[in-house]
Amino acid sequence: MTMKSVVMEGSKLREEAHQIFDWVKSFAKGAEVEIGLGTNVNEGLRFGNNELSQSQYSRRRALSVRVVTNKRQARATTGLLEKSEVEKTVRKALEQARAGPEDADLLPMLGPQKYQPIDRYYSRTAEASAEQKAGWISHAIDMAKKNGLLASGILETNVDHYWMLNSAGLETSYKGTQGDYSLTMDADNGNQTGYALSTFVDLRELDANEVADTALERAKLNKNQGDIKPGKYDVVIDPQAWSEMLFFLIVSAAAGYTPDFGTRQYKEGRSYLSGRLGEKIMGDNISIDDDAYHPLQTGAAFDGEGYPKSKLPLIENGVLKSLASSRISAHRYPDAKPTGHELPLPNPLGEIPNNLVIRAKGSVKKSAAELVRELDSGLLITRLWYIREVEPRTKTVTGMTRDGTFLVENGEIKRPVKNVRYNQGLLDLFSKVEATSEPVTNLGRFGETTMVQPGVLARDFNVTSVSVF
Amino acid sequence: MASFDRNDSLGIKSGSESITRLSVLSEGSFLSESLFKSTRLILTSDEYTEVAVVYPPVYSGESCESSMGPNLQPSLATLVPRSERANTKYFLTQGTVSSIKGMGEGLSKIALETAAKENATYTDFRLVNSRNEATQVVNDNPSSEELTSLGVGVRVLYGGLGWGFADTDEMNRDGIREATLKAVALAKGAAKVGIKIQFAKEPSYVDSWLSPVAKDPFNVPMEKKYELLNDCCERMKAEGVVLRRGGFVFTSIEKYFASSEGSRIFQRMIYSGGGLVVAAKGPTGMQRRSDQQWMLKGYELIDELEFPEKAEELKKDVIALNGAIKCPEGKKDIILSADQVGLQVHESCGHPIELDRALGYEANFAGRSFLTPDKLGKLQYGSEHVNMVMDATINHGQGLGTFAYDDEGVKAQRKYAVKNGKFVGFLMSRQTAAMVGEARSNGCMRAEGYRLPIIRMTNVSLEAGDWDYDEMIEDTKDGILMVTNYGWSIDQKRYNFQFNTEKGYIIKNGSVEQMVRGPAYSGITPEFWGSCDAVGNKKSWVLWGTPNCGKGQPQQVMITGHGASPTRFRNVTVFGAQ
Repeated sequence: MTMKSVVMEGSKLREEAHQIFDWVKSFAKGAEVEIGLGTNVNEGLRFGNNELSQSQYSRRRALSVRVVTNKRQARATTGLLEKSEVEKTVRKALEQARAGPEDADLLPMLGPQKYQPIDRYYSRTAEASAEQKAGWISHAIDMAKKNGLLASGILETNVDHYWMLNSAGLETSYKGTQGDYSLTMDADNGNQTGYALSTFVDLRELDANEVADTALERAKLNKNQGDIKPGKYDVVIDPQAWSEMLFFLIVSAAAGYTPDFGTRQYKEGRSYLSGRLGEKIMGDNISIDDDAYHPLQTGAAFDGEGYPKSKLPLIENGVLKSLASSRISAHRYPDAKPTGHELPLPNPLGEIPNNLVIRAKGSVKKSAAELVRELDSGLLITRLWYIREVEPRTKTVTGMTRDGTFLVENGEIKRPVKNVRYNQGLLDLFSKVEATSEPVTNLGRFGETTMVQPGVLARDFNVTSVSVF
Repeated sequence: MASFDRNDSLGIKSGSESITRLSVLSEGSFLSESLFKSTRLILTSDEYTEVAVVYPPVYSGESCESSMGPNLQPSLATLVPRSERANTKYFLTQGTVSSIKGMGEGLSKIALETAAKENATYTDFRLVNSRNEATQVVNDNPSSEELTSLGVGVRVLYGGLGWGFADTDEMNRDGIREATLKAVALAKGAAKVGIKIQFAKEPSYVDSWLSPVAKDPFNVPMEKKYELLNDCCERMKAEGVVLRRGGFVFTSIEKYFASSEGSRIFQRMIYSGGGLVVAAKGPTGMQRRSDQQWMLKGYELIDELEFPEKAEELKKDVIALNGAIKCPEGKKDIILSADQVGLQVHESCGHPIELDRALGYEANFAGRSFLTPDKLGKLQYGSEHVNMVMDATINHGQGLGTFAYDDEGVKAQRKYAVKNGKFVGFLMSRQTAAMVGEARSNGCMRAEGYRLPIIRMTNVSLEAGDWDYDEMIEDTKDGILMVTNYGWSIDQKRYNFQFNTEKGYIIKNGSVEQMVRGPAYSGITPEFWGSCDAVGNKKSWVLWGTPNCGKGQPQQVMITGHGASPTRFRNVTVFGAQ
């Protein structure tokens, strides 16, 4: 087999994965082995100042090999798939494993599993052409030009294939597509600006004209911003606005930006949730599941060692109900069961739920615009930016708004205001959500976090300072 | 016809560090079965003075009738004059390729010729071979991973109007050709709607550069690394401590750059870095202390960092923080530790001086800048004590932003960004330099791996001042000393910021007194730097490494350097975050 014949397309990937797995087993000489073979194709047309500035295409493969020998394990990953390179990769992993200490959490490799079928591959998305993308972008640029604005952003698609095998007989795979169209229209060095984002798995979900219309509408509104005083405000947060903020529910800055909401972190005492199972930590109208099978979710039905993902009620009616878990946690702690949330091993950091679905009781409004109509007085926030953790116990984060923050009175947008800085506890925010709107998908790449997140109307959002624009 | 057995004839063994003996292969020879299993064969012919890397490997069952036969695809050949052959080094340390210089020379020809046939205005080619080893211990649980990659990025300008870029990890003639044609197609598409692209001139170079290394980190036994990490994690144990984490990352990057203007540049960089994190729970919640450093150095950096001693100090700190008072609020004079100043420089100067950002090309994600071209040479960015340089040269130090040439073949340079407080310089590319009327780029195009280069920081540093650190403390009547970053946030034009730090101390009448927890400060960038009245001297100046700067769409992670010393700012808004 030559390199040229290693074709990373769906039906051939299985064959190639098995070929490589046979090599890995022979090179590993009796050690337990696990391989993950993946490929990604990304095409993105990036534009700025009404020009196509960076048109990019990327096609990458990766083979990741985990070896287990003599109570030790290590991992080596390579982008080179010739037999000799695979041999070197296996050898490197074995050397690292042998040189490392015994791993007290080491378990025998997982055997064959049954998985719930999911279908996240759309050929429409995979085959979306650069010309198609350029056409949509050109439309946005034309609209911007007609209105004296500058359009910038990216329209990109991703195609992922992945196959996992191990020496205990486990075999599983994933195939998925996704994309996003992120658009800003601005002028006067960003003093006038509007933003819109659409994420999709199936290209049919993308309404590029609507994205352009939204960005334009917001840009038209968002100029000559007025002042605003720091204080507590009722807010409507657009569903696409707060992905970066929500991320902090499952990440610990105190532990150095490591995964959180997992059993190991909880039991070791290093999670902000430690000691709080069964406690009401959010409003009783809020529930958060980890649900890889939700129709708006992306990603695979298995975790980093191939264990099938379970749907988990993490927060139920405001109460911390369960944690992401794994075989390691089940082995360490008698009261834990595996739930399919392990990261690729070896993993000393703990588990993570990376398919969050956030919802609230009560009727769901169609859009953030309908939530605005419910707001007597407050702010409409269209984008939250540069968010970092300030205090771990309350999950207080700080960040800025950008690209359109509007004062609302009596259910109507009155005027734009300057961007604000906030210091807001996430648990407190989720205790003050009064209403939600239809959710959107915040896309993570395969292996990363995807959130299904609604727009919200929430009380007492803590604005602490104001910027100059 | 002669036949050749791998080990004897070629003197090449799998995994060998160097090639000790090269063989002669003449036309019409068969390769034996054992040769078929080899990875990369370096062959020379005394007669032809030609080096051919035979690649991909040919497997048992196949045969060839000559060294250039159909089943062998010698996709590159480099003419090496006999006089230089002894000086030509072949590295098998990555275990992937024998010399990416040789490979780059061959593969770049394919890319450049393919693009030329398509009438590209300009083409550049980057072959990047990288190896990354990450080892960590978290609460006594170990992990190690090694990551290797080899790939090519091709960038094409078509009609002088549109750019296209494609990358691939298919290291053969067809793969490179396909990627180049894809880049050309994207460039042609962009050219249909593009405007004339200006491109500042730069001489072409044929050069090689290796970063200085005293101790190859990949030759240090893994046992030694684990021993050190385990020692540190053990030292961080104490009542209330819930997280003990130590880790090292070592990276080797080889780059080969070629352009249609004639540049052929090879560079090899080795980076090392490590960090410790300890977190403890107590009556005040959870406190964290950490320490990290990253440089363009080998394992000698780890030796210099004295992690075991640091582990003890961090543990004591984090226990003490749990009993410390909250940082007081109000307007205070603050002295920031050198590492915190480094991050402040990164966020409030390094990013807004990225010219692509200042021109609006990053508006959708990273944002814009308050430092627009019309302000160059005019805006008072900070006080007269503030001097910031953009310096990628080795003379500045072995920082994460040090190299010989950037990723579009521009030589490393040193220029001021802020001089005596005045804003005087941008980080530029060849295109953006021309857009603002500069004759030359200052070499700030950098890419993560073999992805598309974009403008990134190099080493953006605050020059050392005159103040001895102890004197700075003694001179401060009522202030807060703040140490090491906990969190950082700034608006999209780089004005309004808030930084939280891990620990602080009240300074009263020139003495460092009580420890405080959760010290944080906020401000507006030019007002903040305008309040700077004391910069630490060279004794306390360190070239810090930031390993994880994010920018671009799709996002790329870049390593950057920031030299800084402890610095004082007057009358700053401070508060206690925890």
